[in-house]
Amino acid sequence: MKYSNEPMLDMFIFETTQLIEQLETAILSSEKSNCYTQAAINEIFRIMHTIKGCSAMMLLDDISSLAHAIEDLFYFLREEKPQNVDCCTLSDLVLEGVDFVKVEMEKIKNGDAADGKAYSLIDNIKAFLAVLKHSNTSGAPADTKEHNSEKWHKNCVSREAAPPSAAINFFKAVIFFEEGCEMENIRAFEVVHNLKGIADEVYHIPENITDNSKSSEIIQREGFKLYITTHYPYEQLYELLMRTVLLKKLELTEAESRDDIPALSQAAHEMCARVSEDGSPGKGGNGQREADYAEAQHVSIHNSIISVNVNKLDRLMDRIGEMVIAEAMVVQNPDLKGMQMDNFQKAAWQLNKIVGEIQDMVMSIRMVPLADTFNKMHRIVRDMCRKLDKEVELEITGEETEVDKNIIEHISDPLMHLIRNSIDHGIEPPEERKAAGKPHSGRIALEARNAGSDVLIIVKDDGRGLNRERILTKARENDLLLKPEDDMSDREIFSLIFLAGFSTKDGVSEYSGRGVGLDVVTKNIEKVGGSVQVDSVMGRGTSITMKIPLTLAIIDGMNIQVGSARYTIPIISIMQSFRPAENDIITDPDGNEMVMLRGCCYPVLRLHEHFNVRTEITEFTKGIFIMVESEHKVLCIFADELLGQQQVVIKALPAYIRSSGKTRGLAGCTLLGDGSISLIVDIAGLAGLSEPG
Amino acid sequence: MKRVLVVDDAAFMRMAIKEMLNKNGFEVVGEAENGYTAVRRFKELKPDVVTIDITMPEMTGIEALKLIKEFDPGAVAVMVSAMGQESMVREAIAAGAKSFIVKPFKEEHMIQILNKVLL
Repeated sequence: MKYSNEPMLDMFIFETTQLIEQLETAILSSEKSNCYTQAAINEIFRIMHTIKGCSAMMLLDDISSLAHAIEDLFYFLREEKPQNVDCCTLSDLVLEGVDFVKVEMEKIKNGDAADGKAYSLIDNIKAFLAVLKHSNTSGAPADTKEHNSEKWHKNCVSREAAPPSAAINFFKAVIFFEEGCEMENIRAFEVVHNLKGIADEVYHIPENITDNSKSSEIIQREGFKLYITTHYPYEQLYELLMRTVLLKKLELTEAESRDDIPALSQAAHEMCARVSEDGSPGKGGNGQREADYAEAQHVSIHNSIISVNVNKLDRLMDRIGEMVIAEAMVVQNPDLKGMQMDNFQKAAWQLNKIVGEIQDMVMSIRMVPLADTFNKMHRIVRDMCRKLDKEVELEITGEETEVDKNIIEHISDPLMHLIRNSIDHGIEPPEERKAAGKPHSGRIALEARNAGSDVLIIVKDDGRGLNRERILTKARENDLLLKPEDDMSDREIFSLIFLAGFSTKDGVSEYSGRGVGLDVVTKNIEKVGGSVQVDSVMGRGTSITMKIPLTLAIIDGMNIQVGSARYTIPIISIMQSFRPAENDIITDPDGNEMVMLRGCCYPVLRLHEHFNVRTEITEFTKGIFIMVESEHKVLCIFADELLGQQQVVIKALPAYIRSSGKTRGLAGCTLLGDGSISLIVDIAGLAGLSEPG
Repeated sequence: MKRVLVVDDAAFMRMAIKEMLNKNGFEVVGEAENGYTAVRRFKELKPDVVTIDITMPEMTGIEALKLIKEFDPGAVAVMVSAMGQESMVREAIAAGAKSFIVKPFKEEHMIQILNKVLL
């Protein structure tokens, strides 16, 4: 690869991925409206053009030629505006191209060689273009420029030049360009153009250098031959021609007279054609241009955006975390205990404020709207509908909701899974929908909204809903029931579909149900500290809600002490803390301890028992209860004492601890202000453990 | 050190050109991602040479070239073109571009061209 250099490669991947996404959106919205608007065609053309150029620079020939083929196709669409275009096939072709590029980009991202071959796809595109051209020939031949049969093309480059006098000089020049410089004919055109004002007359071979690419080959092979009349001396002309860019070789010879150069004598009487008349069409009105310019002024506002490698942001976040800890270490330094320091307190408060602001700012930099992730789903819906012959409308709301970049990466796959599942299993075929009195096409609503420090992402369909009985049967068959059926709420039963090894669909379709169940969804979501919940009404539809934290790195935590160990509980999961009266404690016949509060009974978890920590405080009345909630399960954690509230930076547990397998109920660890380590309690994990049975 | 303004709608291309130039003793003083910004940046920076991509959104490289030439007839511009844009390159040269280069290009070609047009 030409640029193994990292930032360049990153930029290439980033930009191409972005362009491909734009492209996909443009195609899908065009397809939806059943036609490609001029604006869409322009956009697609430009995107393909950019991809072509960039991937050629990266020496990715297959991507480049594919982009070239699509560009040609859209060039034709743009210029010729053909009438009967098969939009469906067109979309399919371009989307196939999109997929090809996506796959290649993925390979590059993973450090593999982009070795995909696009020949057949390119051939298909070319064939499509050929058919299009054939069926849309307007009768008038495009090439009307086969004009002259004259052998020598003559340009009288300067009408103002002095009339041929005794002082006039005659030259013959042969120019060779560097190999691989491309567009030799235009290079030649450039040479002729530069002679303007110096030469009186210029004749050249090949004659047609404007729109004949064959002449490029001739120039490559035989060089570009020029016959020049000028009143400038040899040295000056030589110097001028030597300035030709990408010049490999110049032969300049002076002739005695006009007659020595056959071309000059032969063409002496021919008409002059001014170079400046080639090309350069009339300029647009000035007023229009100024208006455009004014518009550009506001366009340029959103140009002040730079793209930054996420790794750098991760590192920045990490450093900020360290800074938060360092700040706590200074301000809460044990050496300061009991000292009267007004000025220090003031300064400390100022520091605290600034650190907090920086932290907020870094967090907000990392926040990315869900729009891109959501919009990807259009493609999935489209492809699946076509394959399964269903009609589904995807409705997106709240796509401007922002989530931490690292979390977004974990959302895409689960979302895709849920949508596929909805279309495959949820939405009925059109006939069945009709019979059920539902609108012809199904509807999937994809919604995101903020809820406290979480984001809810909801996938809701109006399909047939989940079948409680079938789920139970299936769960029984696979031995997935942990509780007596009668004790299970609908929600709990529906949640069974997220268990590994659960699939109600016996047939395996291309999309969902290929062995990989919905458990992937829960796995992914739980990885980022989120949870999944299902609601469904038979015949009316299913709604799946994913609850995802806004960010991962820093949380508000409550530090607690158990024996000599410290733990941190995320504040968001704490409902309250209290000291119970002796007679509030209940022990059931199985020995499970519970605490009664305001007439409700809650299970108790002794942290010292769970984590096997030695402590003096084992009597409930001497310690403290912290009531926590996770996924509608409430649990009272028993600890020695509360130490206080603090922002903590979550760090993953070191690998050697994780590999010991004794990390149940722990989400990570953090450093406290005094430099000691605190373990972060995984409330969801503990709540799961505390379930009876 | 010669001061260069790099105009291209693809950030990747800008980066690629910038790196080539920086390595070879040019100073990239500015970048622009469309014709409008190119014209504005040119007026602000008055670079020794400007490289202009032809196909760009908002305003094409050729329109930008014309406005730049209107502002400063002595402006030195090198067009960056893709294959298959012969007619547009021709138009650009007629409109006053000093030279052009075709993507994908080699570093030495780019440098040679810039050195020549700046003679």
